[in-house]
Amino acid sequence: MKPLKIDNNLGYFLDGSGEFQPIDRITKEDLLSLVDLILKEEVEFDEYDEEKIRNQAHQIVYKSIHEKLRGLRDRKQEFIDESERSYLAEYERYKDETLQQGA
Amino acid sequence: MKKIDLHIHSIPTVSDNDFTFCMDTLKKYVKEANLDAIAITNHDIFDAEQFRAINESLPIAVFPGIEINLDNGHILLISDGSNVEDFESRCNEVSRRILQIGDSITVSDLENIYGNLHNYLIIPHYDKKPSIRGQTLDELLSFVTAGEVDSAKKFIRAIKDETKLTPVLFSDVRVSDGLCRLPTRQTFLDCGELSFSAIRACLGDKGKVFLSEDEGNFLFQIFDDGQRMSTGLNVLLGDRSTGKTYTLDKINDVYEGVKYIRQFSLVQRDEAAYEREFKNEVQRKRSRFVDGYLSAFKAVLDDVMNVDLEGNERDVENYISSLLKSAEEADRRDAYSKVALFDETAFPVRDDKVLKELIASVRQVIENVEYREIIKRHVDIQSLKKLACELIELLWRKALENKKRLFLNGLIKDIKESLKIRTSAVQVYDVDLYRVSMEASKAKRFSDIVNSLQKESVIFEESVQGFRVLASKAPFSKAGEIKSASGVKTSFKDALEEYRDPYRYLQALMSDDSLVRSELYRLFVKIEYKILNRDGFEVSGGERSEFRLLQEIKDAQNYDVLLIDEPESSFDNMFLKSNVNQVIREISESMPVVVVTHNSTVGASVGADYLLYASKELENGKVSYRIYSGHPTDKTLKSIDGRSIKSHEIMLNSLEAGREAYEGRRRGYEAIEDR
Repeated sequence: MKPLKIDNNLGYFLDGSGEFQPIDRITKEDLLSLVDLILKEEVEFDEYDEEKIRNQAHQIVYKSIHEKLRGLRDRKQEFIDESERSYLAEYERYKDETLQQGA
Repeated sequence: MKKIDLHIHSIPTVSDNDFTFCMDTLKKYVKEANLDAIAITNHDIFDAEQFRAINESLPIAVFPGIEINLDNGHILLISDGSNVEDFESRCNEVSRRILQIGDSITVSDLENIYGNLHNYLIIPHYDKKPSIRGQTLDELLSFVTAGEVDSAKKFIRAIKDETKLTPVLFSDVRVSDGLCRLPTRQTFLDCGELSFSAIRACLGDKGKVFLSEDEGNFLFQIFDDGQRMSTGLNVLLGDRSTGKTYTLDKINDVYEGVKYIRQFSLVQRDEAAYEREFKNEVQRKRSRFVDGYLSAFKAVLDDVMNVDLEGNERDVENYISSLLKSAEEADRRDAYSKVALFDETAFPVRDDKVLKELIASVRQVIENVEYREIIKRHVDIQSLKKLACELIELLWRKALENKKRLFLNGLIKDIKESLKIRTSAVQVYDVDLYRVSMEASKAKRFSDIVNSLQKESVIFEESVQGFRVLASKAPFSKAGEIKSASGVKTSFKDALEEYRDPYRYLQALMSDDSLVRSELYRLFVKIEYKILNRDGFEVSGGERSEFRLLQEIKDAQNYDVLLIDEPESSFDNMFLKSNVNQVIREISESMPVVVVTHNSTVGASVGADYLLYASKELENGKVSYRIYSGHPTDKTLKSIDGRSIKSHEIMLNSLEAGREAYEGRRRGYEAIEDR
């Protein structure tokens, strides 16, 4: 899946309903759905290229978002694991014990 | 009267320090202690072969037994020995289940393994660690023969308390070849022929168990040579260098749980140094007290230290003015300022404090050992574990959500800044109004708390024999008071001006870099900790030593034996007679006390239950030390090896500097008496 693309000298992003919208219309909620998508699925992006995007506002937004999301894609497992650190030992022990009890 | 010790170890297990069993040591112990019956009770194991060897080697009754780890406490289970093979196979089942430290079985396991528990002597650790308590003890109670204790003090306490089990005192000895002192903890039973059923019958009757053969529970054995002392107040007399302090040291050595107030430990030698030391001690106590009292406040303060009301106010102002300006210039927007993210606000990121605390609480209920039985009666631990798992999963989801938001907030901020430098349009300033409002109410609540904390009142009061320990709180009124509470050399003049407004006062304190933030909690209320004498004034001079002695004696309640070496060394006779004697007397009602003294006010007036006299004697050119003992009314005191000495002479020599001096003093007092 490709949630960020460059077309007709403009940057586009994939919104929640599966349609491409111009990158300058992106809101924080759209960004959140993109992050969810990246954490769930394998994604690729059109690489940022100054020559291909003529609109300067689009350049700024696309460049930033592309860099940041690419970074997230490359270390997404680490990103998820880090939030499951607290109480991990207890969780595993209790889970085991309740499973044994149920068996 | 029969003497028994039903708690003896002969096999090292994971629960013991390693040792090598020695049959000769056991024989020596049985012979020298004059035992009539013993039981072999190893941790969670019974070895029939070794038991038979021991039984054949000893001329007394030996019962097979086992010490079992039951719900993390210990019990002795002793059989009548009629079928050793059967007992061994049952014990093997225990060994199979308890393999390492921490393993234990339940009361129903015990019933399954041993069948009818009424066929055994069941003796739980009672006033002895690790004890059987709570639900486990309740379940076991109908089978229990007696409860094991580990000191004469606890034995007497159980005897006196009708609600307690019959106590037994056993050695719990590891019989090894290197055993230097033979045990002195055994129990006497008032029974004729000694048999398993006679032991059980005696243990069912508190009137038939004793600490001594001929003196009931009045005396108990203290040294392995047979020397005994009273379970109440013992006075140890003797000339200089006759072994009195040596005797106290030895008691301190062989017994656990001894409170020892050594000679001169309370003496006032250097007035200035002593006063400093006393003040330091009071200061330490004060500091501990202040920390305890203010610990909850410290948490509030830590939280409010992060609140910046002025900063928040600026943020809100910026937000409103930028919003208005942006509305005015709406028609002047360019490609950059029209980007949706240009005026985007950051995602709010909330701390999951409540959820974390909830998980910690559930976890605590699951893991708690001390109140496990009560907890289990009301809630299903399995359900709690499921609850904990569900909450932890929720915490993880929330943590991931927060992480995403923080990640995106960084991105949004970058984009906004990049756009802003390319446009002249006004960007709407971002502010988290929820946080601003929360922090304002936090600061208000903080001020309320501090205001009530600063109200003048007494927060702790305790009476110790005429002295009063008093802790009180009040607002600071001088900069110097805050300075001394902080222990930092800096000026508090400006801060004091804001003192009535706790939040502003805190800001003033925080602006002083010489103050450590984690210590600021001490600077909001003045806490005074004082020790007052009977007239209500702060103690001075000799009163300090008196107070310390009384505190030390009072502290002895937490021990099993109290030893005091020459309390007269720094006190006048009036204080000794009116206070010290009374406190010593009182404490000796509940535990054995030994007082070494040369002072007649203590020695003759304290009301000793038992006299001990240490003597250094020269026999055939060799020095030997001996202890004579007896009741204060006995005409003679006797030593272990059968010698005797006249009590009257000892009293006069030890306490009155001899008959002549005593008579001289008596005549002197008579001559000046107003008749």
